[in-house]
Amino acid sequence: MRELPCGADLLAIAREVLLAELLPHLPEDKVLAARMVANAMGIAAREAAQDPGWIADARARMATLTGDAAEPLRAFATAIRAGAFDPGTPRHAEAAALLGEITRARVTVSAPRALGKG
Amino acid sequence: MDDARRERLAMWLRAAAGDASLAVTAMARLSGGAIQQNWAVDVVRDGAAEAWVLRTDNAATLAVSHGRAAEFALLRAAFAAGVTVPEPLFLCTDAQVIGAPFFVMRRVGGIAAGHRVVKSDTLGGGREACARALGRELARIHTIRPPRADLAFLGDPPGDPGAAFIAGQRAALDRQRLPHPALEWGLRALEREPLPPVAPVLCHNDFRTGNIMLDTAGVTAVLDWEFAGWGDPHADLGWLCARCWRFGNVSQEAGGIGPRGALYEGYAEVSGHPPEHARVLWWELAAHLRWAVIALDQAERHLSGVEPSLELALTGHLVPELEWQVLAMAEARAHA
Repeated sequence: MRELPCGADLLAIAREVLLAELLPHLPEDKVLAARMVANAMGIAAREAAQDPGWIADARARMATLTGDAAEPLRAFATAIRAGAFDPGTPRHAEAAALLGEITRARVTVSAPRALGKG
Repeated sequence: MDDARRERLAMWLRAAAGDASLAVTAMARLSGGAIQQNWAVDVVRDGAAEAWVLRTDNAATLAVSHGRAAEFALLRAAFAAGVTVPEPLFLCTDAQVIGAPFFVMRRVGGIAAGHRVVKSDTLGGGREACARALGRELARIHTIRPPRADLAFLGDPPGDPGAAFIAGQRAALDRQRLPHPALEWGLRALEREPLPPVAPVLCHNDFRTGNIMLDTAGVTAVLDWEFAGWGDPHADLGWLCARCWRFGNVSQEAGGIGPRGALYEGYAEVSGHPPEHARVLWWELAAHLRWAVIALDQAERHLSGVEPSLELALTGHLVPELEWQVLAMAEARAHA
């Protein structure tokens, strides 16, 4: 029901205008700020375009791993600190895989180049 | 800086330099942010032109102004140890002269900006020579050892720098608004492999590309001493070599500048022994964790509304990539 183009699309096209049309005309001391604005727009656009389903999935898996459905993220972090998922423990591989997936999802938004994308 | 302050400054400098005819011929603001100010000060002292830098705090941040006296003491200790730093000249702790304590050091030329430095094949005398020179600089810094009355503000050295690091990072994580399981994962990996004891030395604690000024002949200045403290010398090597401080030039493992081997060789030239590589790797993982926690703290300054800033806001978005590296490094350690 929302108007098109969507927010992610608007951010992407606005970023293109900023980089291609405005940046070349900015004084040297404003270039860094403009690049930061472009970077922020890129992050926001990727976040808007990402399916947020991974968050609920990750919380559910953390709850299963820790037995804490109320604050699964905190419980997961606390359990890792306590050594509950150290190498050699039964759920080490499961915890490592989950951490890899949630970190990948966040890197995809914040720094896709680190994954060889963008 | 208004005329009255400039005149008081000139009078103070005449007394400090022991030259009643010293003249300040030019002053220009160099850089600095919310906390510090740097001024280029040109003087004629004993009839000869000299180029200095004055470092001070903004009046609004007087609460941290003891930082300048500490920085001056660190520069003096480093200069005396043969580290390439701007020669520290005079310290003024009297806030009445220009509104805040300040110190004066010699001005040196060069390029520090990380993205420029890692692209250059000639800065620092070339990649190999520069990495070697960085090793020598670090080894000279590490000749400064406790106890030192002039550095008493650093406190007592930690009995176990690695354990102190882990405890400090966990305390910092506990202050964040959200838990960070990937960072916990990295800290736990370090905790499982505690480091044997080491004799503490002065660590610069921010010795990295971007904080080291270079020209084509070599290192011209090691800058930014505000995080210095007693610790494990390998922590400095790990911070410099950490992938997150190679400014994208990851194949040059010494800070994106040159080969790791040359860094270690330069270090051994001065210290008499090469660094322990496994120990450096421990501190490289630690470096990613530390930088991630600093980035979280910087983002928090924006998030809390204390200091709304696009730069601080974006710093928060460095954390996922650092965590990605942390997971890879912890995994590598688990299979080593």
